Amino acid sequence: MPESRIDKILVSVLGRALKAIADEMSLTMEKTTRSPILCEAKDFVTGLYDAEGRMLEQTENLPILSFSLSPVCEHIARKFAGRIYPGDVFFHNDVFSLGNQNNDVAVFKPVFHGDRLVAWTAAKGHMADIGGAVRGGYNPNATEVWQEALRIPAVKVYERGELREDVWDLIFANIRLDIVQEDMRAEIGACTVGERRLLALIDKYGLDVFESHKWALFAATKKMMEAEIRIIPHGKYRGEATVYYDGKNPGSTYRIRVEVRVEDGGIVFDFSETDPQTNGFVNGTFTSSASACILTFLQMVNPDLPHNAGMTEPISMLIPEGTILNAAYPAATTFGNHLCPPLADSIIRALAPVIPERVTAGWNNLLCSLSTGDHPGRGEPYVDIMFMGLKGGSGATCDTDGYDHIGMIDASGGVLDQDYEMFEQMTPHRLIRHELLRDSAGPGRHRGGLGVETRYVVGSDDTQIVVFGDGDVEPAFGLEGGGDGTLNRIELRLPDGSVRVPTSKDLLTGIPKGTLYVQRAGGGGGFGDPKERPADRVRDEVRAGTLSVEAAREHYGVVVDPDTFELDTAATEGLRGRD
Amino acid sequence: MTHRMTHRIGIDVGGTFTDLFFWSQDRAPETFKVLSTPDDPSRGVLEGMRAIAEAHDLTLEELAAETGLVVHGTTVTTNACLTRGGASTGLITTPGVRDALEMRRGIRERQYDNRYTNVVPLVPRHLRLPVGGRLDAGGNELEPLNPDEVREAAALFRAEGGEAIAVCLMHSYADDRHERAVAELLRAELPDAWLSISSEVLPTIRFYERVSTTVTNAYVGPILRSYLAALGSKLAGIGFEGVLLIMQSNGGVALPDVVRDRPATTLLSGPAGGPRAAATYAGALGRDDCLLVDMGGTSFDASLVREGAAALGSGGELDRIRIALPMLDIATIGAGGGSVGWIDAGGLLRMGPQSAGAMPGPACYGRGGERPTCTDADLVLGYLDPDWFAGGKLPLFAERATAAIREHVAGPLEISEEEAAAGMYTVINTNMAHGVREITIKRGLDPREFPMVVAGGAGALHACAIAAELEIPSIIVPPTASTLCATGMLLCDLQHDFVRSCLGSLEALDLADLSSIVDELAAEGEGQLLREGAAETMHHVALDLRYLKQYHEVTVSIERGDLERGDLRAIAARFHQAHNRLYGYDLEEVGTGLELINVRVRSVGRSARPELPELPPGGAESDHALKGRRRAWLPARSRFGELPVYDGHALRPGNRLGGPALIERVDTTILVTTPFAAEVDPRGSVVLETGEASHA
Repeated sequence: MPESRIDKILVSVLGRALKAIADEMSLTMEKTTRSPILCEAKDFVTGLYDAEGRMLEQTENLPILSFSLSPVCEHIARKFAGRIYPGDVFFHNDVFSLGNQNNDVAVFKPVFHGDRLVAWTAAKGHMADIGGAVRGGYNPNATEVWQEALRIPAVKVYERGELREDVWDLIFANIRLDIVQEDMRAEIGACTVGERRLLALIDKYGLDVFESHKWALFAATKKMMEAEIRIIPHGKYRGEATVYYDGKNPGSTYRIRVEVRVEDGGIVFDFSETDPQTNGFVNGTFTSSASACILTFLQMVNPDLPHNAGMTEPISMLIPEGTILNAAYPAATTFGNHLCPPLADSIIRALAPVIPERVTAGWNNLLCSLSTGDHPGRGEPYVDIMFMGLKGGSGATCDTDGYDHIGMIDASGGVLDQDYEMFEQMTPHRLIRHELLRDSAGPGRHRGGLGVETRYVVGSDDTQIVVFGDGDVEPAFGLEGGGDGTLNRIELRLPDGSVRVPTSKDLLTGIPKGTLYVQRAGGGGGFGDPKERPADRVRDEVRAGTLSVEAAREHYGVVVDPDTFELDTAATEGLRGRD
Repeated sequence: MTHRMTHRIGIDVGGTFTDLFFWSQDRAPETFKVLSTPDDPSRGVLEGMRAIAEAHDLTLEELAAETGLVVHGTTVTTNACLTRGGASTGLITTPGVRDALEMRRGIRERQYDNRYTNVVPLVPRHLRLPVGGRLDAGGNELEPLNPDEVREAAALFRAEGGEAIAVCLMHSYADDRHERAVAELLRAELPDAWLSISSEVLPTIRFYERVSTTVTNAYVGPILRSYLAALGSKLAGIGFEGVLLIMQSNGGVALPDVVRDRPATTLLSGPAGGPRAAATYAGALGRDDCLLVDMGGTSFDASLVREGAAALGSGGELDRIRIALPMLDIATIGAGGGSVGWIDAGGLLRMGPQSAGAMPGPACYGRGGERPTCTDADLVLGYLDPDWFAGGKLPLFAERATAAIREHVAGPLEISEEEAAAGMYTVINTNMAHGVREITIKRGLDPREFPMVVAGGAGALHACAIAAELEIPSIIVPPTASTLCATGMLLCDLQHDFVRSCLGSLEALDLADLSSIVDELAAEGEGQLLREGAAETMHHVALDLRYLKQYHEVTVSIERGDLERGDLRAIAARFHQAHNRLYGYDLEEVGTGLELINVRVRSVGRSARPELPELPPGGAESDHALKGRRRAWLPARSRFGELPVYDGHALRPGNRLGGPALIERVDTTILVTTPFAAEVDPRGSVVLETGEASHA
């Protein structure tokens, strides 16, 4: 269709209509799933793709999952070409055919307009179990994929609307928990909602108009992204970050190295010099690393860009196989999503000197735990990821404080705390504390976001707690004179009085009822000289209890009376070296 | 109600104007507009009633005595939240969870925007106090309440000058005894404090939603209470003995006593009447869906009417504050006649969101305003007649408008005052078009499919430009456009929403228990409605149901008959259908059981509604209404031209005229620009059409 027939308003309406559909699919997941990982924390994504698998729109509650959907959709469209029928439903999680993580199991549903394949809808969420050696899926002792999970390469579970019961049974015979079946049904439901809405949209405007305006939307978005990239001066910029401990060799470290090359209207992220893969499960997959790269860069450009194939076109990535960011078959890779924080750090460090006004200081890295056991009150097993405990602070920008209790950069505030009352309904645990953590924010003219402290009493005997993450060695970094955030830490105070401090990749079994779980998620890095922060804001934080009198004096040079919370102006001016 | 109490008055207090809709049996409705009095909005209400009285040669007392019903919409609670100007509020909660209010489950709504900062909570951290005591998820006591800590908290609130206290304890939906005990202690310690108890405000599971709603309720409580008291005593002072009703955020109306106890239900009180009126005028033209744009002095509200009813929002938020109560879906931006024009650091012309409000008002009001506003631009562009603004009651000073525009816009930009005014006009129209996008395109709806109903005094001057930007082909300017929300208030039903937690498997449910809960809630609703003078009452029952082990519910309407017959199968069938329609699948065949979470009752009371009168038809000719010509800016041609000016009150149904033209009414002026043509409908609405059929 010629350019002149493009209706510009319709292009924006279409873009937003696709977003509204992806949002409605996301709502379907949130409202119908059973695992709190999905319905409470929203550890899932939904999206729409064209017939060839190009991204039309996505709702990216956890962006680290989202930028592998389009590559997998392309893979399925190619692999099953000629054998795709109305009413088909595909499952997929296989990390060696572009999946991002074994536990993140996707549904893809082809959308037919009449007898023509016009699009795909997809939903992918973190399943409560995916087989393998450890309930819940995180096996820090794994060295190859089969010890981690059931592999599901693209497989049809429905064909022409008919359930392939044998295939369904084969899959779920290898997964421990029944709720995973229910949650996969919810994913299919979300895809059906997307299919219904998309067909209504296409019927309304006609397929030809839909197609021509789709291309116009891609082109407009690409142009917007190119303009964003043009703001960065041409050049090559290098950054590095460290991954601590591979789960096997105490003290081991691995470096992520990136060279960012900004060219005319395009940007390349080259990870060729990154360290080789580990022999444990601390390994990325191509799409988990690509997602990490895209989501980090998206935070440096206009946040209102539509998310479609046009947006990613000017971005290219070199992530060689055999590196820690793209492990070769058949490596264990379950930790891969959690390499996002150090990967993001390497990009931020590369670009901070060039575009300081567009970056943040370092974000609190993820340290997470997952508890499983049998709920004595409900008489059934439970799996809970401690989302509320893992969410630390983000890094400050040159003109705003970091965001308190936002969580890892790979979710950027899209993943939520469990509701406290639902947590106590659905797990046997009892919440003791979930509060902002004093003195956790990296000091600065703009401070980092605050971390949190979480405490709960374990409510089941023989509880298994898997710990995975980082941020217990190196804190979130400050920028331009801003200070670092605090470290992550988990400890277990057992009823016998002993204390266990797990490593950052650990599997604890046999934890007894009555154990107190204590977790501190650190704050984000600060930006700029803390002495330039207005003293009354520092005073307010002391009164709020999120900053100690001592830290106010030491880091900010602000003196506050510990009883009245009055600002001692003279002493403050003395410390800050002003007249 | 005596037979002489025949008048009904709808009153909408906005940031700049107080609008009144006056309806008396057997007479055509009339509209009035006076300046608001933000320091005490009830004074403006009385001023408005005085204007009605004068127009009918009555004393204020005579008018009051003959008035049976006053329905009132207020923005006092909305503004208190938006400006963080609510009561000094404290929170009493369970140890360890005091930051839930501030952390908001850790959400950042704009994931990729690193400059999007945390929300400032309505209660600062040092006033969020834990008191010992704990229930488990089943409502069983794990640890008794510590009354000493409640008294200590009360002492601290007293010392801090706390006016309101919210109480929200873990699992109080399952058992409210600790909350009731806290409330009792607080009443003894702080008899004057305004209390908001979570198990009364929102007795449902989900701590964050409950604490946020309860705190907001406390935060606006004292303000609403003192406002309603002031209003009540002023009305009593002039001898009003009729019924006063308050507009609620859910689109229904209620007695002051009722909303005073649940002040959070008034957070969208001001604009909530508009959609009902828009639906009525659009419905008269055979349109079930429409878009309402309301341009007041301070803010611009956009909302949608679908199938004849105002659209309810799914979010239940005000400025990122979660309010888990039913609320209409209304997008508000800071754009209005009082919006101030200014030049930003980058040298670009901006409009608002600051508003000159009622005081000092636009520069052309001559009340001390020196900043140029949208109204000043409209005057300089020739759209307003300086001698006939508000029917000549408020003379405008064109030279002051020109001077303000020269100093603050034209001078810095080195352009003429008229070019600057045209720029201001364009910028604010673009802002308002963005507000319309929020409510349509952002939700994936095509604005071109909706006729745009225009409200607010200034709305009709800007409607063609907004419509042109969004290619909306059809505009409806109702005869009561300038006071549409006030009009709507007299058209709204009495309405109360009740909810109660009732957890259990549907199969194992004691239907007699369930029926008695429904009866109890309905009786409460019936009692309220009767006190409010409803002529006819209805109680809609709904159940929040879910499949076993799901976390979220689907609200399914049921017939009370199903309950009485014990027809669980019919109830389950409704749930399966709704689940499939909403979520693409159901588990009827799989045989998954259902769980009941909450019982809901919506009690609706009808009272006599004013009929919008049909006017006698005239011919297509409109020359009889032509009252002159005026030099005015033609946006499409970017130059001034001579525009015909029509007397809006002389136009008759069927009269037609083409653009460009101005149609003047006492309280609103319509700018008709090409390609729009105007025709008057039988109810006096001016309908502007481009002649293009609605887009596919």
